Amino acid sequence: MTLHRRWPAFTILLAILLTMFATMASGRSLAATETPAAGTMSDAGTLNVTIPVFEAGIPTDPSVFRDLRIFPRIRQIEAKLMPFLLRETLVETGRWGAVRVVTQPEPAAELQLFGTIVRSDGDWLEVHIRAVDATGRTWLDQHFSGQADDRFTEHKDDRFKTEFQALYSEIATALDAVRAEMSDAELSNIGNTSLMRYASELAPSAFGSFVERAEDGTWRALRLPARNDPMFIRIETIRNTEFLITDTVDAKFRELNTSLARTYRVWRDYRRKLVDYETENVRFAEAKPKDAERGSWDSIKHQYDTYKYDRITAQEQDRLAVAFNNEVTSTVDAMEDRVAELDGWVEQGYREWHSLLEDLFEVETYLLEQGN
Amino acid sequence: MYPTRPQIRPCLSLSLLCTLLGLVGCAHEEPLLIEETKYFDGDMPADFSGSWARDFSRGDDVNKVWQNAYYELARRRGSGRGLAMPSDRDMSMLMPLARLAELITRPDELTISQTEYEILVERRDDFALMCAFYGGVARSTDSSFAKEVCGWDGDRLISVTEFQDGLSVVHRFDVSEDRKQLRVITTVASDTAPMPFTIEHFYWRFNKIAGKYECIETLSMKRVCSTGSLAP
Repeated sequence: MTLHRRWPAFTILLAILLTMFATMASGRSLAATETPAAGTMSDAGTLNVTIPVFEAGIPTDPSVFRDLRIFPRIRQIEAKLMPFLLRETLVETGRWGAVRVVTQPEPAAELQLFGTIVRSDGDWLEVHIRAVDATGRTWLDQHFSGQADDRFTEHKDDRFKTEFQALYSEIATALDAVRAEMSDAELSNIGNTSLMRYASELAPSAFGSFVERAEDGTWRALRLPARNDPMFIRIETIRNTEFLITDTVDAKFRELNTSLARTYRVWRDYRRKLVDYETENVRFAEAKPKDAERGSWDSIKHQYDTYKYDRITAQEQDRLAVAFNNEVTSTVDAMEDRVAELDGWVEQGYREWHSLLEDLFEVETYLLEQGN
Repeated sequence: MYPTRPQIRPCLSLSLLCTLLGLVGCAHEEPLLIEETKYFDGDMPADFSGSWARDFSRGDDVNKVWQNAYYELARRRGSGRGLAMPSDRDMSMLMPLARLAELITRPDELTISQTEYEILVERRDDFALMCAFYGGVARSTDSSFAKEVCGWDGDRLISVTEFQDGLSVVHRFDVSEDRKQLRVITTVASDTAPMPFTIEHFYWRFNKIAGKYECIETLSMKRVCSTGSLAP
């Protein structure tokens, strides 16, 4: 066995990989410079927040799309835009650490917000939010709904304000209320548990015994490694590198939001107009000629026209959905390709880091045993 | 190619249509579509997609149909003893159906798009007829004002719109084997009228000539055209 002869090579390879990934991400990261620096452990009282792309809430049965007025492609886009708007709201409060939008849930995140779109028709927005911290404690598990309010978007410089700002602010307030009830020790414990869960996933041989999962699904950090533990330092370096790449992904969501904001607003305005048309259609239906005999031309024509206007309104909405897709598809596709590329890099890097760290642990343990 | 339309009397034409559509004695208490016509296995039985232009050399003239309806009512009034003047009431109740049928069948051009699930018949100055089938099962378009549902009679597509107040509009689409011609039979009926009113039209399929520019609809920039390819 010549494992001990391989360890310098491992270390060099690890360093090269980390440098490569960090370089790759640093040149493109916008969010990294705009969010608080991600430490390995949060400062007491400030938790880092991770928001995976929302569940679009699209039924599996396509036959109900029309009845529920769901346009799948647009819902998928909304599922990418809404987490970003929530992120902006949380950042603005200044009460959180780094707030990141990610494509996949991160099991070891300090605080993670899972969202599902329940209803989005331009006038009303309803989302379900579940907030879970790294210990497995659920902070929120509830519906939030609100009606569009144009007052929030009157100022041009409010690029990231939405007509549903009140809803996002309500979520932020609800989260803050839970956080306010927690002691610094509890918050610190969440940060430690998050880090040790991350370490135990990346290098289970070294840190698997540092964290424990209870029968009820909650997690607990049993102990912490020494600050100068070389393996722990590597874990911190890797996590920070991963954060850097995540911030690049996050920046892509920001770019997408900027690109689509105007088009999405036009779409939303149209949808609201169509709601007005529907109201007018109902009014038209009620304005049946009073003295028209049943079966007469006036009566029959009114029946036919009432349905005709109703259908034209619905079909106009379909046409607008297609127009929206035509306008944004290339932007969304480009963004999705880039994010998939970044995700691929992270995934590949993670596998390599995991393998290298496990090998390094084996080498170092062997050397330690030899030394003793 | 379709055979030349036989000069059948309106009653025979009507009863044939009633049979095909599952109309029992044309009574509106009965469902307009028999259950089997709502289902099919595999692919849709026929392909109606394309642009269709009215063939004015064939099909019904509304005045002629009105005349035939007049004679039919006269024959009924005569009760087998020849013709008798139809009542003013009958004629005044049939006239709105004729006007509506004429209005509905006025468009000279139809654009039909067809996907795995849906057939959309676009008509100028009117709403597009929608036939939705999921898993071979017809799905109705319900609104507060009417119910629209489709079915198949062999490879013929039947679209039925039932309005709240006893009014119904039935379209029957029939495409020739070579897909060059389309026949559309439109029947407007009401429980207030003495008989339904049916108009038949024929259409030729034509290919819209591709222009110099390729255009797509967008939301904020409206129609966007390019000399190159515009993939959404």
